[in-house]
Amino acid sequence: MLTKRARLWLGLIAAVSLLSLASSCGGGGNTNTEETTTVKPVPTKDAGTISGKVSFTGAAPAPVKIDTSADPVCAKASPNLLGEEWVVKDGKLANTFVYIKDGTLADGTKISDYSEAPPSNPVTLDQNGCHYKPHVLGVVVNQNINITNSDPTNHNIHFMPKNSTGWNQSQLSGAPPMMHKLPHAEVLVPVKCDQHPWMKSYVGVMKTKLFAVSGEDGSFTISGVPPGKYTVVAWHEGGPTGTEQKKEVEIKANGSATADFSFGASAALRGQPSSLPMLPALEVPMLGKQ
Amino acid sequence: MSKGVHRFALLVACATFFLIIAGANVTSHAAGLAVPDWPLSFGKFFPQMVGNVFWEHGHRLVATTVGLLTIALAICLQLRERRSWVKRLGWLALGGVIAQGLLGGLTVKMNLPLAVSAAHATLAQLFFLTTVSLAVVTSKSWLGPSAGIREEREAAFLRTLCVLALSMILIQLVVGATLRHSATWDRPLPSGLLLAHIGGAVTVTLVLGITVLTVLARYRNETYLTRPALISIGLLTVQLALGIAAYITRLGSPNGPQPLNPMISVTVAHVACGALVFASTIVLTLRVFRILRVERTAYILAPAA
Repeated sequence: MLTKRARLWLGLIAAVSLLSLASSCGGGGNTNTEETTTVKPVPTKDAGTISGKVSFTGAAPAPVKIDTSADPVCAKASPNLLGEEWVVKDGKLANTFVYIKDGTLADGTKISDYSEAPPSNPVTLDQNGCHYKPHVLGVVVNQNINITNSDPTNHNIHFMPKNSTGWNQSQLSGAPPMMHKLPHAEVLVPVKCDQHPWMKSYVGVMKTKLFAVSGEDGSFTISGVPPGKYTVVAWHEGGPTGTEQKKEVEIKANGSATADFSFGASAALRGQPSSLPMLPALEVPMLGKQ
Repeated sequence: MSKGVHRFALLVACATFFLIIAGANVTSHAAGLAVPDWPLSFGKFFPQMVGNVFWEHGHRLVATTVGLLTIALAICLQLRERRSWVKRLGWLALGGVIAQGLLGGLTVKMNLPLAVSAAHATLAQLFFLTTVSLAVVTSKSWLGPSAGIREEREAAFLRTLCVLALSMILIQLVVGATLRHSATWDRPLPSGLLLAHIGGAVTVTLVLGITVLTVLARYRNETYLTRPALISIGLLTVQLALGIAAYITRLGSPNGPQPLNPMISVTVAHVACGALVFASTIVLTLRVFRILRVERTAYILAPAA
């Protein structure tokens, strides 16, 4: 029969041993399980395009200056770095992810039934001047993302998908590019650097290539859209999960359609709660507007 | 009783408080995963301390120092202390700091899962409580309390109040730790946990308030008890103000491009003050248990007629 002290020691040793074993598990490796959907490419016969412009109505939020002094390399490379949440130029909004969310092709099939093989060429996400280039990008499920570090400092790239396992790797200065792929569709996967918390990027992961990112002039074009009726969504960051707008378009054979989107000041203010979040029937106004 | 042992225990308690501040800075700066490997940092003992690596690896260095100090304290107590329960408390503290280190490693290996991060934060407070307790029980005032030991029928009530206050503070710390780690700086805090934490603050204020009032009402001339009581209620008042300030600054942080002051310093101060409230309440509790014994009624059998 074990004494009380012996039982206590045994329990402590067991707990420490279990923790030690557990600590040898896990890590930053990619343990995602890949989607096993059958490849069914979107038909290209009589394909058309969806194009448009994303604009910002009202007074655009002033760009926020980022304090990069925590890392002398970043302070030297980007002393006047500005936030990229709302990049508005002449009333046009950049970095909006536009994609076909739903719809029916002319032959009656659903666009959600299609799933394309990932392109062989990777998409590059560069850590440059202590910010990500590009700020928003799109990939097909399991398409390689080529991660490079162009800075003379270390970075730590952290993908935070909801539909896949997170991925967190450090990339030292001068290290070779790393490849990563996201195995499940998701709009949009946030990416951040744990060493430089102002660095943010967003990756849209789609089953097909029917997506685009608006440029500095707000324009976007989605090519290879088969004839049919579709719901086009424009997603922009802001607030906990971003903000979205939808448009219904129809593509005729070899035709084109226009889908313009407009985000306004209310979208920019989302994520800036003005009251204590409580039960719906009881709200306490904040002392000052954020 | 060795003055040196007490001073060393006090040093470990102070170092642990500094470690809590260092740990709180890791969370407030969102630096928890700045160093993705463990126990080394980028494969080294001393990486370049730039960006958030400064906070995360700095925290690890302070933790290592506290761990070494705790080992030394446990050995010191084993060799110099006559009371076996104090020796056991020293070894318990060592077990706690080892478990805390392993939990810290787990948070990194598992990419900061909420349960592990909250457990790491809670164990930090419990470990601090243990080091403060060691400082108290090795002190001169513990061995020869100025108040004198007494037996009273009402002692049970105050003892119960003290234990209740400690328990409420611990629950509040657990809720606070879970709240803090449930959302990064760029996400709003979940309303449910926020409400629970506010409710917990009200409860702690009530229970600790009643405890302190009881001490002041019944033992107003005993500074041995009134001093820690007043310190704890004073700290609680500061903590409530810091809590409101932390909420206001945290509310605005998702709008910023990065974690910024005053949010960082206010949330760190809120964590640190919470630890001090916990510590001052354990000092009060230990002292109450030290000098107030529950009166036992002795029954004498009447001789047979």
